[in-house]
Amino acid sequence: MEHSVLFAGKAIGAGLAMIGALGGGIGIGLSVGGAVQAMGRNPDFASTIQTNMILGVAFAEAVAIYALVVSLIILFVL
Amino acid sequence: MINWNGKRRWVALILLIAGILVMLTVPPIIPVIQLPGEKYPGGGDGFHMTNSLMGSVLVWILLILLAFYINRKMPKSGDEVPSGGFYNLFEVLFEGLYGFILNIVGQKYMRFIFSFFMTILLLVVLSNWLELVPVVDSVGFLEPHITRDATTGAITYEAGYETTNSGGIYVLNPKCPWVSPTDALALTADAKADRASKGCLTGTNAAVAAPAPVVATESPAAAATPIANATEVVGEAAGVTTNTGETAGTTAPAAEHEYAPGDPSVPWVITPYLRSPSTDLNFTASLALIAVIMTQVLGFRALGISYLTKFFNFKTLFSSPLGGIDVAVGLLELIGEFAKILSFSFRLLGNIFAGSILLFVMSFLVPFLPWPFFILEFFVGALQGFVFGLLTAIFMSQATAGHGEHHDEEHEITEVTADNPVEIAPAH
Repeated sequence: MEHSVLFAGKAIGAGLAMIGALGGGIGIGLSVGGAVQAMGRNPDFASTIQTNMILGVAFAEAVAIYALVVSLIILFVL
Repeated sequence: MINWNGKRRWVALILLIAGILVMLTVPPIIPVIQLPGEKYPGGGDGFHMTNSLMGSVLVWILLILLAFYINRKMPKSGDEVPSGGFYNLFEVLFEGLYGFILNIVGQKYMRFIFSFFMTILLLVVLSNWLELVPVVDSVGFLEPHITRDATTGAITYEAGYETTNSGGIYVLNPKCPWVSPTDALALTADAKADRASKGCLTGTNAAVAAPAPVVATESPAAAATPIANATEVVGEAAGVTTNTGETAGTTAPAAEHEYAPGDPSVPWVITPYLRSPSTDLNFTASLALIAVIMTQVLGFRALGISYLTKFFNFKTLFSSPLGGIDVAVGLLELIGEFAKILSFSFRLLGNIFAGSILLFVMSFLVPFLPWPFFILEFFVGALQGFVFGLLTAIFMSQATAGHGEHHDEEHEITEVTADNPVEIAPAH
C-alpha cells in the first residue's frame, strides 16, 4: 500500500515536471519559424541564420531537457 | 560488391518479418532502468567498473582504430588519388565541417578550436550511436534482483523474470515474470494454470519455487554482505555452466554461493556488459568541464590577463553613470560560465538517456516495428554530438573576441569577415 502511494506520487511528480517542456517547445517553434522566414527573405544568409538557429534551438531545448532530466530522476533515482 | 538497386525494399520487408518472429517467440522486456552506470560484480567498496565506462573504453578503441585507418589511407603526396569509400566519406565530412567552422570562428584560432570541435564531435557521436548496437544494453551479467537491508539483512524482492537455460546461456523468460510465494497465494486457479501452460515455475500449483533462503540463521556479517559480492559467481556462470548442482530448495547456502544462476526462488535481471557512455552523467560532465575549461584557456591565450575584465569589469564604475551595470553584467557572465557546464552535461545526458529509454519502451510496445525509432535516435545522436561541438566552438570564438572596447583593428576585421554570430563589429 505504502509502495503504491509512493509510486503514484512519483508518477504524478514526473508528469508535472514535464510541464516545463512546454516552454522549450514554444521557444523552438518561434525560433525556427523566425529563422525560416529570414531564410526565405534573404537566402544568401541561410548558412549564418541556420547556425544561429541551431544555437538558439539548443538553448531553448536545454530547458525542456532539464525538465526531462528532473522527471527521469524522480522516476528512476528517487 | 552487391548491386543494391531495387533490393532495399526487401531488406525492409525482411526486417519487418524478423520483428514479427521476434515478437512471437521472444518478446522484448523492459530492462531495469537506472540513471548511474551499473556496477560490474565484484570490485569491493572503492573502484567499480561500470558498464558505461566500459562503453567509453570501447568508443576510445574505435576512435584510435579510426585514426590509424585514416592516417594509413591518407594520400602521402598531393597528386595521389585517395582510395577507399569510407576514407572518401570521412574526407567529405571533415572538409565540410572544416569550412563550416572556419566561417564561424575565423582563421586565427581555427587550429585550436577545430581540433576540439572535431574530437568532441567524433567522441560524442560514436558514444551516442553505441545505444543503437544490438548487443549493447541487452547482454550482460545475470543477477538476482533483490535488495538487502544492511542492518537487518531482510531481503526485499524486486520485479524480475524467470530464466530459461539453453546450453549454459541464461535468457530471461519474458512470458514468466517472477511471482513471489506470497503473491502466488493470491492468484486464481486459472491464472496458475495459465502460467503453468507457459512453462513457468513460480506462481503455479506445482509449487516448485522454494521458499526464500532463511536469513535469520545467517551471521550478521554474512547478512550485511553487499549485493555485488553475493552475485559474483552468478556473473561468471552466466556464460559457462558451473555450479548448477544447487537446486531450488537447498536451505541457506553460504553468502557467496547464495543463488545458483536461474534459481527460480529469486527474480532475475540482467546487468548489461555495455551501455552508451552518454547515458552516464560522469561522461557528459567531464566532457563539459573539458570544453569550458579549455574555453577559458583559449580566452587567456588570446587576450592575456585582460580576459578577466570580461568578468570583473570595474573600469567604468566611477567614470560612467551606468558603471554599476557593467559590474553586474560581468558577474552574470561569470555565473554563465558555470551554467555552461550544467547545460552542456545535462543536454547530452537528457537527450541520449531519454532516447535509450524510448528505444526500450518502443521495443517493448511495438516489437515488430521498433526501427523507425532507431532511425530517429540515429539522427538525434548525430545532432547532439554536432550541437555539443558547435557550442564549444562558438563559446571559444566568443572568448577570443573579448570585450567590445579593447581589441585591435586587425582582429576586428577577422571577426567581420568571419560572419561571427557575436555582434561586436558594427558598433565601431
